[in-house]
Amino acid sequence: MWKQPWGYAEGWLICCGLFLTGLILQFTTGKVDADYFRYPLNLIGTGLFLILLGILQFRGRKKNSLRWFSGLKATLTSLTSVIVLLIIMGLTRQVSPSADLSGAGGFSRTGFMQMTSSWPFVLLFLYLLGILGLVTLRRLSSFRGKDIGFALNHAGLFIALTAAIAGSGDLQKLRMSASYDAPEWRGIDDNNQLHELPVAIELQSFTIDEYPPKLMVIDNQQGIALPEGRPVNIVADSAGVGGKLLEWDIEVTQSLPMAAGFFQADTVSYVEFHSVGATTALYIKAVNRTNGRLREGWVSCGNHMFPYSSLRLSDSQSIIMPDREPRRYASEVTVYTEKGDIREAVIEVNKPLKVDGWKIYQISYDEHQGKWSSYSVFELVKDPWLPVVYLGIYMMIAGALFLFLSPPKTN
Amino acid sequence: MTWDHYIYFAAPALVCWIAGAWISFRSNRKSRAILLTVAGLLIFGAYIAGLWISLERPPLRTMGETRLWYSFFLPVAGLITYSRWNYKWILSFSTVMSFVFICINLFKPEIHNKTLMPALQSPWFAPHVIVYMFAYALLGAGALIALYFILPANRRRIDGKLMGLCDNLVYAGTAFLTIGMLFGALWAKEAWGHYWSWDPKETWAAATWLAYLIYIHFRIQKQNQHTAALGIILFGFLLLQICWFGVNYLPSAQGVSIHTYS
Repeated sequence: MWKQPWGYAEGWLICCGLFLTGLILQFTTGKVDADYFRYPLNLIGTGLFLILLGILQFRGRKKNSLRWFSGLKATLTSLTSVIVLLIIMGLTRQVSPSADLSGAGGFSRTGFMQMTSSWPFVLLFLYLLGILGLVTLRRLSSFRGKDIGFALNHAGLFIALTAAIAGSGDLQKLRMSASYDAPEWRGIDDNNQLHELPVAIELQSFTIDEYPPKLMVIDNQQGIALPEGRPVNIVADSAGVGGKLLEWDIEVTQSLPMAAGFFQADTVSYVEFHSVGATTALYIKAVNRTNGRLREGWVSCGNHMFPYSSLRLSDSQSIIMPDREPRRYASEVTVYTEKGDIREAVIEVNKPLKVDGWKIYQISYDEHQGKWSSYSVFELVKDPWLPVVYLGIYMMIAGALFLFLSPPKTN
Repeated sequence: MTWDHYIYFAAPALVCWIAGAWISFRSNRKSRAILLTVAGLLIFGAYIAGLWISLERPPLRTMGETRLWYSFFLPVAGLITYSRWNYKWILSFSTVMSFVFICINLFKPEIHNKTLMPALQSPWFAPHVIVYMFAYALLGAGALIALYFILPANRRRIDGKLMGLCDNLVYAGTAFLTIGMLFGALWAKEAWGHYWSWDPKETWAAATWLAYLIYIHFRIQKQNQHTAALGIILFGFLLLQICWFGVNYLPSAQGVSIHTYS
């Protein structure tokens, strides 16, 4: 043991040592506090890490013990230990790394519930990253043309991971709720702290396109859609459409996409209503195929202003209209920047807006009021290290193509 | 085109694949086996295209829809392997696996919703899932081979040629796994604001990916330990199953994963 040349035993021992050291640190000092690891410390830290790897690589050309760290035995042992931690992480319910579990005691003291900020994970992950860096440097120092796939895969992963870790301290992520009244320039972070931002948003209009209404049969007692486990529905986008639901033939005789409901005797009726707060209602005729019985009446999903309404078919079954699902939601906004630029734009899911290094995402709205929401919720993200991470990702995609088209040869 | 029509496409496609597998196994008429497999793929592909058109969205959202692609890509993976390396039993393997997934879709479809939530409406959606399904198919073929040859009765027959096939399947599978994962990261940045958020599905995807990296590095280092190498393939495929649908059932992932299929 510990005699040159090193083998697997030394590799496993190093990983176990790092794991135990991490556990001891976790029990004595709590989770890794990365609050200070942001500009400029993260830049300096990354620089020192790279210099250290460079020195190790340079010295390793003469010293066998250092060369072991850029070999396959170190690679395999460190990869395996990180997998073990990832499996523990996958089997353990994770809470946000920013949550405070210090008083919780018990299992939470291992840090495994906040794996990515636990000492064992951080130490072993950095160890793997260091080995990856040394492997990359060693191959690059004697680079030949056929190494290009190797270089893209290893250097790409190293660059992406290093930039992702270093950049996590500089990542800013804030929620902003913008309304019609006035521009909003304050955002809330994960810990509910209010921050003033260099970007302000004013909502001009908020729209939801919805999928057509659906009709389903439910069980009156349990409220579950029928047939249980494989519910069926018909899409009713206009008057005249129909279909079969269980043993009923359904026909929509009147379709009101914009409707208001009012109580009439002991039932609810609906009329056209083209204004704020409208809901959807359908007048339905249902004929039972086995006994010819006819049922008719209004069915509506209702909303925050108007009542919901179902059509009772029998003692055990009713027809209902579930809430209409959003197809697309979007906000027309005016964005103001500190420099005095004013921009009009549309922000929707999957189509964020880029302004001054910030990306603005549509994430939510007042779900209680649905399409009549009076505000729209955005997330603003600034990640200055993103281009470096992307460089690594693009290198890895190219490297994966090399792995597929000209795989390494093992005999 | 709806799921009610599925069997009318799946059955003739299967007949073509079984015939192709039979010919490749029993005779040397390679081109005939390839032609039959391609014909089956065209029939099956026509169904996917028809479903895509009638759903007005790519059929990639539900568990049943991902199984549909898996049933399609298994014979594709088998066909590539057969035409490139001439393993005459690979088409039988891929046909049997495809048959299993077709049966699951026929008897337990879980495939009824036509709607697609806004987060999934992205040009990244189709490439992300299709590339992943292709990777799963290649790695599934690798896992079947590993399972067969790791049995004590069959271990004597492991040779360099067989391990070469496993290597090739894992290289290609890992390449597509990598691309699928990175497409997912690029998409996540556009949809959710960050490229990696340690969602349970992402955690298991990372573990799966690392397991196949271990196989690749292990094969370079320990070329004679064939059984252990096959064991790593099976371990990787186990992690892949957890990532694909196991997370839907894991208590640790209930209610927190944004990657849930409906």
